[in-house]
Parts: sequence; structure tokens; C-alpha cells
Amino acid sequence: MKDYEIVIGLEVHAELNTESKIYCNCRNAFGLEVNTQVCPVCMGMPGTLPTLNEKVVDYAIKMGHAMNCKINSVCKQDRKNYFYPDLPKAYQISQAEVPLCENGYLDIMVDGVEKRIGVTRIHIEEDAGKLLHDDSFSGSLVDLNRCGVPLIEIVSEPDIRSSAEAKAYLDTIKSILQYINISDCKMQEGSIRCDVNVSVREKGSDKFGTRCEMKNVNSFSGAVRGIEYEAKRQIEVLESGGTVIQETRRWDDAKGMSFTMRTKEDAQDYRYFPEPDLLTIVVDEERIQKLKESIPELPNRKISRYVKEHGLSQVDATLIAESIDKSKLYDECTAMKKCSPKNVCNWILSDISKFTNDTGKSILDTALTAENLVKLICEVEKGTISNSSAKKVFDIIIKDDKDPVKLIEELGLAQNSDEGFLEELAKDILSKNEKSVSDYKNGKTNALGYLVGQCMKASKGKANPGKVKEIVTRMLSE
Amino acid sequence: MNIDIKHIAKLARLRIEDEKLEKFEKDMQSIVAMVDRLPDIEEELTLDRENAMTLREDVAVPDKFTRDELMANAPQVQAGCLVVPKTVE
Amino acid sequence: MKLYEKTASELSEMLAKKECSAVEIYNDVKSRIDSVEDKVGAYVTLNENALEQAKEVDNARANGEELHPLAGIPIGIKDNISTKGLRTTCSSKMLENYVPPFNATVMEKINSAKMVVTGKMNMDEFAMGSSTETSYIHLTHNPHNLECVPGGSSGGSASAIASGEAILTLGSDTGGSIRQPAALCGAVGMKPTYGSVSRYGLVAFASSLDQIGPMGKSVKDVAMLQSLICGYDKMDATSKNIAYPDYYANLKNNVKGLRIGVPKEYFGEGIDSEVKESVYSAIELMKQNGAEIKEISLPSTEYAINTYYIIASAEASSNLARFDGVKYGYRAENYNSLTDMYEKTRSEGFGDEVKRRIMLGTFVLSSGFYDAYYKKAKIVQRKISEEFSNAFKECDVIATPTVPSSAFKIGENIGDPIKMYYNDVCTVTVNIAGLPAISVPCGFDSKNMPMGLQFIADKFCEQTLLDTAYAYEQLSGGFDVITKKF
Repeated sequence: MKDYEIVIGLEVHAELNTESKIYCNCRNAFGLEVNTQVCPVCMGMPGTLPTLNEKVVDYAIKMGHAMNCKINSVCKQDRKNYFYPDLPKAYQISQAEVPLCENGYLDIMVDGVEKRIGVTRIHIEEDAGKLLHDDSFSGSLVDLNRCGVPLIEIVSEPDIRSSAEAKAYLDTIKSILQYINISDCKMQEGSIRCDVNVSVREKGSDKFGTRCEMKNVNSFSGAVRGIEYEAKRQIEVLESGGTVIQETRRWDDAKGMSFTMRTKEDAQDYRYFPEPDLLTIVVDEERIQKLKESIPELPNRKISRYVKEHGLSQVDATLIAESIDKSKLYDECTAMKKCSPKNVCNWILSDISKFTNDTGKSILDTALTAENLVKLICEVEKGTISNSSAKKVFDIIIKDDKDPVKLIEELGLAQNSDEGFLEELAKDILSKNEKSVSDYKNGKTNALGYLVGQCMKASKGKANPGKVKEIVTRMLSE
Repeated sequence: MNIDIKHIAKLARLRIEDEKLEKFEKDMQSIVAMVDRLPDIEEELTLDRENAMTLREDVAVPDKFTRDELMANAPQVQAGCLVVPKTVE
Repeated sequence: MKLYEKTASELSEMLAKKECSAVEIYNDVKSRIDSVEDKVGAYVTLNENALEQAKEVDNARANGEELHPLAGIPIGIKDNISTKGLRTTCSSKMLENYVPPFNATVMEKINSAKMVVTGKMNMDEFAMGSSTETSYIHLTHNPHNLECVPGGSSGGSASAIASGEAILTLGSDTGGSIRQPAALCGAVGMKPTYGSVSRYGLVAFASSLDQIGPMGKSVKDVAMLQSLICGYDKMDATSKNIAYPDYYANLKNNVKGLRIGVPKEYFGEGIDSEVKESVYSAIELMKQNGAEIKEISLPSTEYAINTYYIIASAEASSNLARFDGVKYGYRAENYNSLTDMYEKTRSEGFGDEVKRRIMLGTFVLSSGFYDAYYKKAKIVQRKISEEFSNAFKECDVIATPTVPSSAFKIGENIGDPIKMYYNDVCTVTVNIAGLPAISVPCGFDSKNMPMGLQFIADKFCEQTLLDTAYAYEQLSGGFDVITKKF
């Protein structure tokens, strides 16, 4: 078998979390009683007209900035004409020639290596309704609640080369949408969906193979399965001497297979033309700039920084970066440059995460401050307290804004690291346990643990165990 | 210009009855022949910045209409939904 | 003189002076409807609540409420303007039983002014036609000669003015649909600037060209109604947010120094000589009274009809796609699949003219033809607009015939779509350029049928337009709008 390369392009549709729909003032809400979030406008009644929601424009521009796009301050909307019962006007208002945002890119990280994926365009459009199928009835039922829910469509360049890259790209988009808070990203509610374009070619070739578009991909894991299935299918076609036919296929995640929906010959003719019910969208430069300034450092940038500058693993960096709360705390702590970023990371991913998971609180809801956390970590790093004592202090500072240094003192948790004191202590213990000393010298190394334990016991736990171990080892070898 | 009546009718979800087809086709050909005559102007369409629209504030107004009011004109309704012939097999 | 023969402004004064009541006016109009509607066929639906509305106006006046000058004036509404609770058919089988759950913005204005809505006026199906013969409901006859068409598509609105079955009416104008029937029925009708009257609730034919406008017996009446219906509407993104004057209050008969442009392209071969003569003599009359006449040229006019039919049909094909038998309107009875249901519903629900326009529109937008037709037409549209803009640098208004000839016989043109389309030759440019224009009667021809004079003004210059038309009306002494024939 020849060596093949997979070429993938993704079209991601994300529902925006505005208050009202894109072209009417119906509520933009999910999961309510059928056909109750509708009005004459989104029902496409004769004589009704669309009015564009300004938030939709703002949100799309924000996403454009987040994906490093050029923002088209002057653009328009177009009608995409086709008949289907979930599309009451029989056209979808979308953007054809001039999208709101174009020519951007997104940096993703796969196996610790950064990769840049080109973003062709981001445009705004309306969602369609839903068809409900019930075997007990001979027809299909139409629920129009979702009609007019605002969507952005993000189209990538065919720069993605594996299902893992596709997954990373999708995860990154999702985390950005959440970060800039423009989409709820609830997969189970279908608030992010994607169409996948897949082609294969011989490695080294600079020409693209014939691509197939896969629709109905409703989850990121489904996208991964769909890509792998489709690439395998195409390679098999080529290997058996056949040619791949350009077509639109439907992904059936339950069956784990894709099926032909329509071929190129009966491709739909959408008859796009400028939407005459809406005038030009003109966004002033000041507004575009303001929206740009509202974008925080994004998770993909953070991951890259954490890995490159702080030496975190990609997994840990991702876990921190993709949570707004965690990364905020992490960034505040590391900005003080007083303790090791790795220790900060460990605290956040272990004890702090456990606390928030157990209590259902967010980090922001707890009493924990970056300052207190850093103080606590510094005390551990200095050896002032043991890890187990540190946990005792943590249990307090996550509930009350108290100074860890004072707490250590008040609770008497400080460890004794004084060399002279520890040497006296060790000398005393060794003299009382001659049997263990000789065992150790005869090769029973576990006697060391016993002797250290006796030291700790004698010091009522105050001795610095690391130091004690060091001193006892040294004395035994003398 | 010869236009493919059958194809266009399919796109428009129209069906021209056989007995009317000939006259219809003739009318369409002459209409297309009429509109065909347009000058070639070497210009491109540009977006009209002066013709900007005012955008709507994002405020939701729920329960403006009842479902019954909105469905009152529908040919077939069941369980609060519009009914269409089955779309999947 | 019967009440139904009076103008809205006369009746408004009488009401204010309590010389008559709104109920008396309505009853007089209603009895006129009862006696002539059989012959005219102006209405699709009569409003059963009209008498009640008239009574409310009288009560309000008796209670000393401050009323709009149009309160109590009977008005007929073209049947493509959505009226909550009153069926709105667009004269189509498709919407024969459709009752809108909401009002068009203009209806909210008419209701808040407490006008009395007499009913819904017949029209060409979905406003596609120039004779009201494409109505699925019934024919409408020209009151000046019942064998003739009233014009279209607002044929019911125009003939009701001439028959005395309504004092005022609303029409809609996409390519001449207010002005052409107004001219053929001897009424005054105005197509306002695109964006000055909200289209919300007007069942769309061609969204970028459609505009609702007033029709009446006099320029004053039209100015009165226009002042009521115009204005910015946040429900219509294409409506213009500017201050609109009270045209009626500001109306002035001022012809001195008025610069009138006369474009030679509107007086060519296809125009009936009697029409030309009467328009020229109207212009001459204005000149004698101090107007300055300028011969101008609008060379792209020759492409106007083509441009118009491409753009209007393209938009119509998309606007009318929603009539699919799912949410409202007609649905075919027997079908075996979704596509079958769509095709049967639409083929049975639409008439031939509507189908032709949908087909043309679908064709010009279809893959491979878009650039050659739609895009080209949009470029010519800009050219036509530019020519008008330049013309308005040297004149205040432009005068042309409204229609090439007076009303033709019912059935005369219906078999020949192209011939029918050329009826719009003088009016479509106005829609293409988004300008305001008015048609006023300028005499009767040798067949004793009315002819129309069209004035065109620059965007949002309705005041200049109405002042010009008013000046001409005063100078000419006016013509009988209400037919004396029955």
C-alpha cells in the first residue's frame, strides 16, 4: 500500500448565546415546548421582514478577532434558496460573497507541537427549525422554535492532516467560544455542529484529491470517527484502482458509517442573491477596535505559553488553560514569580479541583486568593511545613481569607529544620536502636525508614522529614 | 437563449400541466428573449456604504403571540406542530 | 352632492364642523357599494366591523377626544396588506382563506387614526399584472367603461375611487401598480420614495421595489393619507430614519420658477398620440404659469423594462417560495411525498402569470445565468439611478405620461404577456431608482377614458412632488373622478 496523506477542511456552525434571535425579537432559548418561541417573522409569514440583531454582528466580529481574521467593516447578507419544511421562508439568510470576517488562522497544539490552521471565513446566518419523526404517525412534525437562532459558520482551509488535528482544532474553537462567552457550546443541544470535508492524496503530492463532504456530524468524537472512516474508505477505493467521486455524504454515528446523500450531478442550486430586505452592514472602525480589545488572552495562546515558558506538559497546560477560572488563578500566581509554576499547576489540578468538584463551587466562589496560595506554596518549597501540614492550611484558606504564614504559626505546623537540633535527635535515636543500625549496615535498607520514623515520632512530627532522612543516612554511613 | 423549462420548474417546485406546456414554453422563451437585451457595462457591483442599516438591540420579547394564533392558518397541525409528508424513510 | 362623491379633505372638514357623522359617511359609501359593486368588482372582502368603527369615531368626537383629520374617513386596503383578523388573499387561490395574526405597520397607523376600513381591494394575483385580470377572485371593471380593465395591479383600489366605493384607498406599487391604475381610472395615486412607508406586513412581491402608497380623488387627499402612513419603522430595515413633513399642512400651489424636466425617451413611438398631446398641453399650461421647462435625456430608459422584469422576478421567485402548503394557505389534496406536495400545492395554488414570473426569476438566478442576467440588471439599475440623480441637478420634477394609452378592453392583452409588460414602460424606472412619483388625471381621450400625467421627484422630495401635482390640479381645474355613467 502507498503512503497516503489525509486532507481535512472543517465547517463549524456555532449557535450564539444572544438574548433574542438573529432577525426577530423572539427568545433564543433551547428545550422549550414546541412552537412556543416563534412569531410571524421567524415563522416566515407573508409580509414579515427581518431586522438584524446587533449582538450577532458583535459576536461574530469577536470570533473573527479571536481567529486573527480581517474584519469586513462593510458587508451584506444574501439569501440561500431551497425548499425544506424546517426552513419556513424557503430561504436562509446567510452571507455569500462578503462574509463579516475572513483570512484568519488558528494555532492549535497536537502532541506538544504547535500547528497553524488557516481560517477562510466566518459568516453569520440563521438556524433552521427541527423535524420530529414519530413512527406512530405517517408524517413528520415541524417545530420552528430553533428558526432564527443566530449562527456563525467558521470555515477552515484544508490545512488539517489527521483526525487528531481535527479534534484539537474543534476543541480549540470550543474553548475560545466559551472564553469569549458567545456560545454555550452544549454539544448535546446541538449548539456546535460541523460539516467535514475529507480527501486523500499520496504523500508528497501537491495536488488535492477529490473531496467528499460529510454532513450530520453532531459531536467532536463523531467527527474523529467520521474522518477516520471516510479516509479509510477513500484509500480503499484508490487502492482497488477506483476513483473517489465528489459527493455529499451523511454520517451515521450509530452505525459508524457514511452514506451517499447526493452526488455532484444533483448538487443543489441555491440561487444566492443579495437579501433585499436588509441594507448594508456597516460597522465603524472604533467599534471593531473596541471588540478587539475585549478579547482576553485565549486558551490556545495560554497553552503554548505554559508549555514553552513554564515547562508544563501539554495535558496539564490544556487542563488549566481551557478553564477560565483555573487559568485566571494560575496566571495571577505565576505572575508573582515567587514559586514554581509546576507547583501552582499541581495545586490547581489536585486539591483545588477536588474542592470545587466536591462543593460544586467555582474557584471564584471560594475564599482562595492567589496571594495566599503562593504564600502557602512558598512555605512548602522552603521546607517550613510538610505537604500534609500544607493541606491542613489549604483547607482553611479555601474557606477563609487568612494569611497562611500566620496560620502555620498559630497551628504550630512549622517543621524543625535546624541542623544541630536534628543531629542531636538522630544521635539519640541511633544510640537507642542499635539493632536497626546493624540491620541497616547488613544491607536491610528498610531499617532506614524505621529510624527516620522514630525520629519523627520523638519530635512529635515537627522535624523536617527530608532533612531527618538526610542526616540519618549520613550518620549510618559514617 | 433556450431555457430548460423542466429544470427551472423543478428548482421552483412548480409543475406545468402537459396541455399548457407548449404555450408556457413559448411565453417563457419570448420573455427571456425580451429581458435578454441589456447593455454590457464594464463596471462591478460595489457595496453601498451610504446605504447602511440600523441594527436591532438584542432584547427578547417573549409570548407576543400564542401558538394557536400562529398555527390557525396551517393546513395540518398535530401536537402543536406543523405536519408534512415524511421526510425520512 | 352625495357624501361618497366628496373628497377626504372635504369630508374631514364636515366631520370637524359636525355637518355630518362618520356613520353617515360610511352608510353612504356602503349603499354605493351595495348598488355598484356587482358591476365594478373592486372588493375581495368587505369589513364587517366597518360600521362599528364609524360609530366609535362619532362617540370619540362626542366625548371631545382630539381626532386625526382622517378619523372616520372610509378607506379600502389593497388585499396584499396584512390586516389582523381580516383575510388577506393577494387575490390568489394560495391565500384564499389566509387571515393574518398581525397588522401591517400602515394598518396600525390607519387604525390609530381611527379611519374606517371598508374592506380589502381586488388586485392582480400577488400584484403581478397590469389589469387586475390575473386575480383568482374575480375581475374588476373600469368604472369609466365597464368593458375596460381598471389597470393593475391595484385595480380594485383605483376603481373604488372612481366608482365612489371608497373615499381613499391604499395600493402598492412595484413597477407602476398604483400610478397605472390611477391613470386608467382617472384617480390620483402616488408611489412614495422607497423607504418612506414601512413595508412591514405588505406581502412581498419584489422587496427592493415594493412600496405602499395612497390613492384618492385629489392631490390634497393623497397628501393627507401619505402624511399618515409615512415614517421610519424599526420593523422594516429598509425604512429611512429621517423627519417626514406633514405634506398636507405644507401643501402649496406654487408653480413659478419650478423647473420641470421633460425626458424625450418617455414620448417615443409606443406612446399613444392623444396621451402625448394631453401631457404636452399639461406641461404647456404649467409653463404659461411660470414653470421653467427643460428638455432632458434619460438614455438608459430603453433598458428599464428588462431590468425591471429581471430584478422583480428574481426577488419574487424567492419571496413566493414560502407558499409551500406547510404553514398557511392552500395545500393540495392528494400527494405521495414531500416534493409531490410542494409541486402540486404550488402548481394548483398559483395562477399562470405568477408561475411565469417565478420561472423567470428562478432562471435568472440559477447557476450559470446569474451574471448574465441578475448581476447585469443590477448594474443597469445603478446606471438608471445615476441618470435620474444627474437630471435632478437641473430640474425639480420630471413630467411624463403615466401610461402609454388609456384603458384597454378586458381580455385584450391577457394572452400576450409581453404586450402587457409594456404597459409599465413609463412607470418602472421610478421603482428601479427608488424615487417618488405621482399620477394625476390630465383629461379624457376620444374614447372618453381618463389619461394620466406622471410627475417624478428626487428621493424623499414628496413635498415638491405633491406641490407640483397640486399646482397642476389647480391650474387644470381638475377632472371628474367619479364616473357619472352609473
